[in-house]
Amino acid sequence: MSAEPSFRIFEKPNLDRPALITGWIEDASGLGASSIDYLIRKLGFREFAEIMPEGFFPMAGVVVADDVAQFPDSKFYVSDEHNLVVFKSNTPRTDWHRFLNAVLDVAQKGCGVKQIYAVGAMISYAAHTMPRLLVSIVNSSEMKEMLEPFGVMGNTDYETPPGQKPTLNSYLLWTAKKRGIPATNLWVPVPYYLVSLDDPRARKRLLDFFNVRFSLGIDLRDLDAEVMEQNGKIGQLFQKSPEIEGYVRKLETGEGLETEESEKLAREIDDFLKK
Amino acid sequence: MGIRYIKEPELIDPVLVASWPGIGNIGLIAVDTLRRTMHAEEIACIEPVDFFYPNKVIIRDGELVDMEFPTCGFYYQRTDKRDLILFVGEEQPAEGGRIYAEGSKAYAMANLVLDVAQKFGCRRIYTSGAAVAPIHHTAKSRVWAVPNSQRLLDEIKHYDNTVLMSDIEGRGGQGNITGLNGLLLGVARRRGIDAICIMGEIPVYLQGFPFPYPKGSKVVLEVLTSALGIRADLETVNQLAEQSERELSALYERLPQEIREQLDRLKQATVAAQESTGGITEEDKKKILEDIDKFFKRGGREEQH
Repeated sequence: MSAEPSFRIFEKPNLDRPALITGWIEDASGLGASSIDYLIRKLGFREFAEIMPEGFFPMAGVVVADDVAQFPDSKFYVSDEHNLVVFKSNTPRTDWHRFLNAVLDVAQKGCGVKQIYAVGAMISYAAHTMPRLLVSIVNSSEMKEMLEPFGVMGNTDYETPPGQKPTLNSYLLWTAKKRGIPATNLWVPVPYYLVSLDDPRARKRLLDFFNVRFSLGIDLRDLDAEVMEQNGKIGQLFQKSPEIEGYVRKLETGEGLETEESEKLAREIDDFLKK
Repeated sequence: MGIRYIKEPELIDPVLVASWPGIGNIGLIAVDTLRRTMHAEEIACIEPVDFFYPNKVIIRDGELVDMEFPTCGFYYQRTDKRDLILFVGEEQPAEGGRIYAEGSKAYAMANLVLDVAQKFGCRRIYTSGAAVAPIHHTAKSRVWAVPNSQRLLDEIKHYDNTVLMSDIEGRGGQGNITGLNGLLLGVARRRGIDAICIMGEIPVYLQGFPFPYPKGSKVVLEVLTSALGIRADLETVNQLAEQSERELSALYERLPQEIREQLDRLKQATVAAQESTGGITEEDKKKILEDIDKFFKRGGREEQH
């Protein structure tokens, strides 16, 4: 266990108690990372700090994805204009407590963050045509009150079932709570058959919230176009396969699918959209 | 990364017995049985956040109320013969998705366990776990014992139903003990503390199953209580062992005839091994494991021809 600092801050941003938005690269449908990337692109964020990978990720070579060697990334970006910080990272493989504390060290000591929004996708058995909800879990009553005007669902009761583990976002929330930083997890349910694909409708729901919450003034019509394009492609599949359309209609009415049906739906949509 | 002391009783020459989850949870069941039946009281715990990922989040009305982590507790009890400290760890601090402790965190935890042991004046440590052996589940498990010092060998030779590595066919006194059960022995040796790992045998074909094997825990307890000169209520573990054997026998009946015949050879092998006149070959063992693996991958159905 290293005593070296686990992060580097390249410049000290000039911010007034900003909010921090975090997203994980391995999120279902890539929702966390794609939402952060969208904000970075649209609002011109610049990188200002990073968590060093050593001790958090295996250093036994590299993973190759889409023909390219990958390496773990854990970076902070800032927008002075919007008084916002975002953090996008691979999920650490070990020493999670030290990693999350490094995130909070940068957030608190590096730029005086006052609130944290950790975004993520949750797998849902609803159809892709259904509206996306936004579900919040908070770590303080202060955060709950703050979210009330934004139409976020926030009355979940939950305990991790035996044999399962809490999410890293929950762990971040707990670590922030220990430091007295108000934080929320914002979850968007993503249809299970889009988990390995993209879900622009889920991204739109999340970004709609941030657009209003922080008065960002982003034109989100490009996301509407992405939703229409994806719906159009799935519609083409429906024309070829009424059976697949039938499965989606069943999900729309809440009828549910047999295991074989649900597996076939996921497989066919995945194959078709990845063509 | 530290230890939280809950109370600091004066103990006289205590012995520490440590356990973690492992194959068949043999050591964990044994030591936890001692903890419960002897009504041992918690004296300290290792702060879990630096070692483990949380195992539970509790959310009420949309608010995260608490998060729970695997526990690593020390418990003590005084007996007529000697004072005992029991260490029960709910998980091994593994790195990179491994089940068994490995790496810097494992080493740190082994040192913390020994810090507590030494603070209370322990000069003897036992760890407990499983020994994967070519035995049948209807046979009585033996105990394999490995000390961290040559001078303990004579003592071990007087333990009932216990063998040393050199007593086991084909091993020539060699072997390895994975995870904290082994690591603790090594770190204790560095500190000059006597330590012995006590391992209850589990049939080779059950090593990959997520079931406990209380028959192995029972023999570990028999050896431990005798070695420590303590009395413990073994009724619960006896019942668990009987129930486990009934369940395994029911499962056994569902196995295809061909696999059962191969496993039945272990009944003879067990006797042969105990008489040191030979057993099943490594080739046989490999085939048995492959056949069982295939059977369960088919969902417990016989092969269709």
